[in-house]
Amino acid sequence: MTSGKLFALALAASFGIPAAAQFPASPLESLKGVALSPERLPDGRPNLTGFWVPPGGLLDVYRGPSGVTGLPVGPNNVPTMRRDIPEMKSPYKEQYEQLVAKAAAAELRDSAALCLPPGMPAMMGAIYGIEILQTPNITAITSEWQAFTRRIWMDLKEHPPTEELDDTYAGHSIGDWEGDTLVVDTVGIREDVPLDRSRIPHSTKVRLVERFTQFSPGVLVNEITIEDPEVFVTPWKYRYVYIYKPALRLREYVCLENNRNVGPDGKAVFE
Amino acid sequence: MTTTWRRAALVILAAIASPAWAHHSFAMFDQTKQVTLNGVVREFQWTNPHSWLQLEVVNDKGESEEWSVEMLSTSVLGRMGWKKNSLKPGDKVTVVINPVRTGAPAGNMISVSDETGLTIGGPPE
Repeated sequence: MTSGKLFALALAASFGIPAAAQFPASPLESLKGVALSPERLPDGRPNLTGFWVPPGGLLDVYRGPSGVTGLPVGPNNVPTMRRDIPEMKSPYKEQYEQLVAKAAAAELRDSAALCLPPGMPAMMGAIYGIEILQTPNITAITSEWQAFTRRIWMDLKEHPPTEELDDTYAGHSIGDWEGDTLVVDTVGIREDVPLDRSRIPHSTKVRLVERFTQFSPGVLVNEITIEDPEVFVTPWKYRYVYIYKPALRLREYVCLENNRNVGPDGKAVFE
Repeated sequence: MTTTWRRAALVILAAIASPAWAHHSFAMFDQTKQVTLNGVVREFQWTNPHSWLQLEVVNDKGESEEWSVEMLSTSVLGRMGWKKNSLKPGDKVTVVINPVRTGAPAGNMISVSDETGLTIGGPPE
């Protein structure tokens, strides 16, 4: 099978699945995890501290016959992974359609190619894995990609007042436990931070609620609900799944170390 | 369909439900074409966001030409068994790439094998 045929297969699959499903059923039961040790922290809460990767492994879409192939992209260079495009309001719907069309003309000129931090919630895609560290008052999550850390304040019950809140890449996150589920509420995300590579827009009124639950030992589910009264008709829900990898440790990733792909004008460079 | 391809297809299908994001789009590479380069390593840049292999290849006219081969990040290559000394200047290698659409001597690595034909690295962890 050629890579072209494989791409066609992936493309067909991505468009062939109904778009309406929320928290789509995937075989969580089939995922085998390794229990964390200890399974609980001294305060009795679940221990989530360690390195986690998506179920397909690092760079899960890249694997080809010998380990590596390109990221599948569809028309206008838009990656085809996203199949659950939410219903959007005007004028954001039109903006989204324009962005998708524009992407073809400036394929590399986006925040990732320019080495800007991924921000929330894109970083939770965990393309190179994420490291979770828990302390009594702070839960810190670092995406190895772009070496970017978000901090979840476990000791705060409220966000700062909207008029005082800085809009940032990671936003302002407060966390609490509902039984063994870590619930994280995030606001204050910069408007120019992509939700993911789909180029679906959001306003500064975007609010994320994440619910982290271990489905089984070492299999962590992050159910994300994105509300944005300016953009989405109904909340957009999807989930990320992570597998605990005790043998892996976070590696350094400095994106500006050798970013040869983007010249000063934002166009692709090959030297 | 070989086992490897079947696995790759499954991985891609799995990924559709779990959107990932890379440093940049790979649309500049022609993923329907593969070029095999036999050459000598001039430089191996073991870096992020991507590693690069600068390869000297003798073209059809008998002239030496330098190719730029883009590879994955050290994050991923390192977990595929690659190390900073996996390639050294002067090493003779065979490199399979998806070439860039512009026709420039550049492309995205698919595989690298050494002088004995052994593929360097494996699938990522």
